[in-house]
Amino acid sequence: MTIDWWTLGLQTVNAVVLVWILARFLFRPVSRILAERQAAAHAALDEAEAAREEARAARDTAQRETAAIAAERAARIARAQDEAAQEKRRLLDEARAAAEKARAEGMDDLARLRATQERDLSVEAGALATDIAAKLLARLPDEARIAGFIDGLAEAVAKLPETTRAGIAGGGPVTLRSARALSAEEQAQIAQRLGAVLGTPPALSVETDATLLAGLELETPHAIVRNHFRADLDRIRAEIADHE
Amino acid sequence: MTANLIEIVSILAAALAVSFGAIGPALAEGRAVAAAMDAIARQPEAAGTLSRTLFVGLAMIETMAIYTLVIALLVLFANPFV
Amino acid sequence: MDNPLSLEPLFHLGPVPITAPVVVTWAIMLALGLFAALATRRLSLTPGKLQTVLELLVTTVDSQIRDTMQRDPAPFRALIGSIFLFVLIANWSALIPGIEPPTAHLETDAALALVVLAATIAYGIAGRGLGGYLATFAEPSWVMIPLNVVEQITRTFSLIVRLFGNVMSGVFVVGIVLSLAGLFVPIPLMALDLLTGAVQAYIFAVLATVFIGAAVGESHGPAGQDQKDLPR
Repeated sequence: MTIDWWTLGLQTVNAVVLVWILARFLFRPVSRILAERQAAAHAALDEAEAAREEARAARDTAQRETAAIAAERAARIARAQDEAAQEKRRLLDEARAAAEKARAEGMDDLARLRATQERDLSVEAGALATDIAAKLLARLPDEARIAGFIDGLAEAVAKLPETTRAGIAGGGPVTLRSARALSAEEQAQIAQRLGAVLGTPPALSVETDATLLAGLELETPHAIVRNHFRADLDRIRAEIADHE
Repeated sequence: MTANLIEIVSILAAALAVSFGAIGPALAEGRAVAAAMDAIARQPEAAGTLSRTLFVGLAMIETMAIYTLVIALLVLFANPFV
Repeated sequence: MDNPLSLEPLFHLGPVPITAPVVVTWAIMLALGLFAALATRRLSLTPGKLQTVLELLVTTVDSQIRDTMQRDPAPFRALIGSIFLFVLIANWSALIPGIEPPTAHLETDAALALVVLAATIAYGIAGRGLGGYLATFAEPSWVMIPLNVVEQITRTFSLIVRLFGNVMSGVFVVGIVLSLAGLFVPIPLMALDLLTGAVQAYIFAVLATVFIGAAVGESHGPAGQDQKDLPR
């Protein structure tokens, strides 16, 4: 058994040198590059984590903004609805007021129209009544157009106050209007009746007025005593108008 | 004759060392391989790991036989008594 | 048949006799150094094929060390990886005709084992301090001191002889078969030698890791029983 000590020594040195060479040229660079890659991977992971965090934050922000927008939109809608409701109410009020006003005006117009119509109608009715009365009277004998009214005139004069009566009796001429020209007999009859009522027969100045239709009208300076169809028709018409 | 006797004894000793030294590792390797086969049969998915471990183990066991071989070679070629 | 245990110097460098294993070792060193320098000249974060292989080697060594020692592999990476690479290349250098592996000679294996022994002691002292490292010899009690000291020596010897016997026997058997049978017959044996050489390189590196780990960290049991986890 021989051991070559030189070879042993040389191989030992060789082994140490080889370890150094490989450590210097192989293991250190490769492990460094591995560590670098690991660091890069960690950095990439961290970066990805940061990016994810950022994305999450952005998403949260977006959600918040969306919520804010939604809230604002809801508020705006509510406000708009309020305004719309107010506007609607106002418009309704205005419309109602306008309608009310229009209705009132319409009513006024209508009332006015109706009044006018009524007036026209009453005028027409009056005219019609006058015509009817005239036509009806035409069928009566002419005496009836005066004779039937003499008593009435006398009674009406009798109802006058004492002073008026005295005024009539004492005063100057009294105008007597009649529907047609009076005959002397009728004129005398009237004078006689009036004289009976008044105490003294007045001085009558007879006028003829066809619009009276039938009857007599006594006009004195102090009073007018009407006893004829025209006055009756007027009174009836006034009463009808009052009733309506 | 004395030198020859020493050489004869050396060769006999080397042969005996290798032959008897091979018995133990042979049995051991047989057991190891049998156990490995059993394990692979039970767990075929672990065959790769098992066979790698088996090879290393066989090499370790084989080393015992190698020791005797070295001794035999020492006796044959580096006999201090020759 | 040549005596596998003796060495004849090829030439003398001054007073120093230079033998074949030394020359082959120099060639391996040169090749490995050049290869490493060229391969690691342009490293990038996006590795090419060669760089991927190198990174696979480094990460494998790292994971082996981490599995065995339960420690950060950085301080031990270069030593363990270099030993593994050198033993592997030296074992496989038998493929080149006319070259005998340096590990087939006792001196080279002894040199490697001495480096491992020295590294074990150095890492132990660096890891535990001188007193702490020496105290590990007294575990579990002072009675064990001689046994522990002897264990240090014997396991170094077993390291030497294991590698030497395997490689040398492979070379020896191939030589015998070649002298007996001729041309193509030794080829299966050479293929077996390749497997044996790779496994022995791996075992050498793992045992060195176990020894250093035992010296640095908690004291492990005998090296042979520490082979529980061998993922590769």
